[in-house]
Amino acid sequence: MSVSRRRAVKVLSIVAGILLWEAISRYVVTDNLFLASPLQVASEIVQLFLSGRMLHDLAVSSIEFVIGFGIAIVLGIALGVLMASNETAKVACEPWVQAFNATPTVALAPLFILWAGVGIWSKVMMVVIVVVFTISINTEAGMRVTSPRLIETFRSFGATRRQIFLKLSLPSALPFILAGLKLGTARALIGVVVAELFGARAGLGNLISEAAADFNMADLFAGVVVLAAIGIWLTATFSWLERRVVPWHGD
Amino acid sequence: MPDAKLSASGICKRFGTLLALDRIDLSVPEGQFTAFVGPSGCGKTTLLRIIAGLEPATKGEVRIDGQVVDRPSSDRGFVFQTDNLLPWRNVLANARLGRELNGTMSSAELAQTRELLRLVGLEGFESHYPSQLSGGMRQRVNLARALAIDPKLLLMDEPFSALDAQTREIMQTELLRIWEQGRKTVLFVTHQIDEAIFLSDVVVVFARNPGRLKEIIEIDLPRPRVLSVKRTPRFARHVDHIWSLIEHDVRETALTT
Repeated sequence: MSVSRRRAVKVLSIVAGILLWEAISRYVVTDNLFLASPLQVASEIVQLFLSGRMLHDLAVSSIEFVIGFGIAIVLGIALGVLMASNETAKVACEPWVQAFNATPTVALAPLFILWAGVGIWSKVMMVVIVVVFTISINTEAGMRVTSPRLIETFRSFGATRRQIFLKLSLPSALPFILAGLKLGTARALIGVVVAELFGARAGLGNLISEAAADFNMADLFAGVVVLAAIGIWLTATFSWLERRVVPWHGD
Repeated sequence: MPDAKLSASGICKRFGTLLALDRIDLSVPEGQFTAFVGPSGCGKTTLLRIIAGLEPATKGEVRIDGQVVDRPSSDRGFVFQTDNLLPWRNVLANARLGRELNGTMSSAELAQTRELLRLVGLEGFESHYPSQLSGGMRQRVNLARALAIDPKLLLMDEPFSALDAQTREIMQTELLRIWEQGRKTVLFVTHQIDEAIFLSDVVVVFARNPGRLKEIIEIDLPRPRVLSVKRTPRFARHVDHIWSLIEHDVRETALTT
């Protein structure tokens, strides 16, 4: 399929979906207590921005996301590197890392709120726990696939272990680490929102849970749509980052 | 022999129950181009790796300028069979890797490395990435990288085997042209008899099972050599002779593997 054709089909699909949503909310589920139409949602988003509420919630969620994600990157890469460079550490950590990665740890949200309160720190904890293991698994995998041929090349020049690590293994792992971060952004976003749903003073999750309590469907959908936009933007940003930082990978 | 650049004495290498190399004695004078030829599994690459210090010998020792080899070092430059450049570095940064790892980067070295890249025919490609280069060009970078550390000994492990036949011939003449500039001591592993004869002063023929030296042959073809030398009767006689030495082993390998 040609590029222009693909693009046309994509745009048509999105427009058709929105029209269908509009039609359903007009003719099938007409009760505003259950569904808001796209037009209502769009105007509500504008309202929320104008009133300042949306910006405030966005800011709070963003801070939680950025702090949590930052901590997860540092811890995740450190753990991945440790596991890749030390056999005992790998064997010891692996069951825990695998278990935590496979567990829907968002279920721990109430626990974190109990520990750290309804402020931002319970959300930061949530983000760290849902993301850190994804990043460490990817980092470890990336370090492990360092080409034996290249290791040999480094050895032939008399490279030290430290040089092999810094100048070879780490750059080799970079595409994997970035892929881990990309996966992590989606998880982190879920973590923030779920933790906020369980208890928060502000944030997009808080906006959504208050809207739900009031049966205010327009507000609820406004929150979800903004979250979707952020998710798409984050993925696109990381894809762009991958092309910029690791251009040798995947082409 | 005190004037030997490289001397190997009594080298044995055992992999489990397999005797890969059995009591190899070899002496190479400074500036000699030496080829190792032999059938698969004759241990020619293993010997090269032992000389490089990438693998320990089970018995025996290798000396370079009288110094015992026990690990890789910058007095030996190794050119591998497959191009193994760092994909995230451009040609220049790849070529400087050896100096970088030895901590001997400098502006003088940079100028030398640029000059080497010119010598191997990569002028204008310094900022290209490996993925943008052909196989032949990538091997030129590999060669420049090995030469950039100004090694006493250049070790080449079937460096042209992954290239197509035409590119391979071009690279052979290129290698000779580059070698004529400095006449480094070169050890060149290949399974192609004509490549070995065309390039070398001395061809060391290996036999397999166990891996051992079968014959050491002086190649008396005049230098500088051009490709047409491959069509002379003298060249053909060398080919026939070496082929007769390894034919039995090669047939055996072909039948059993």
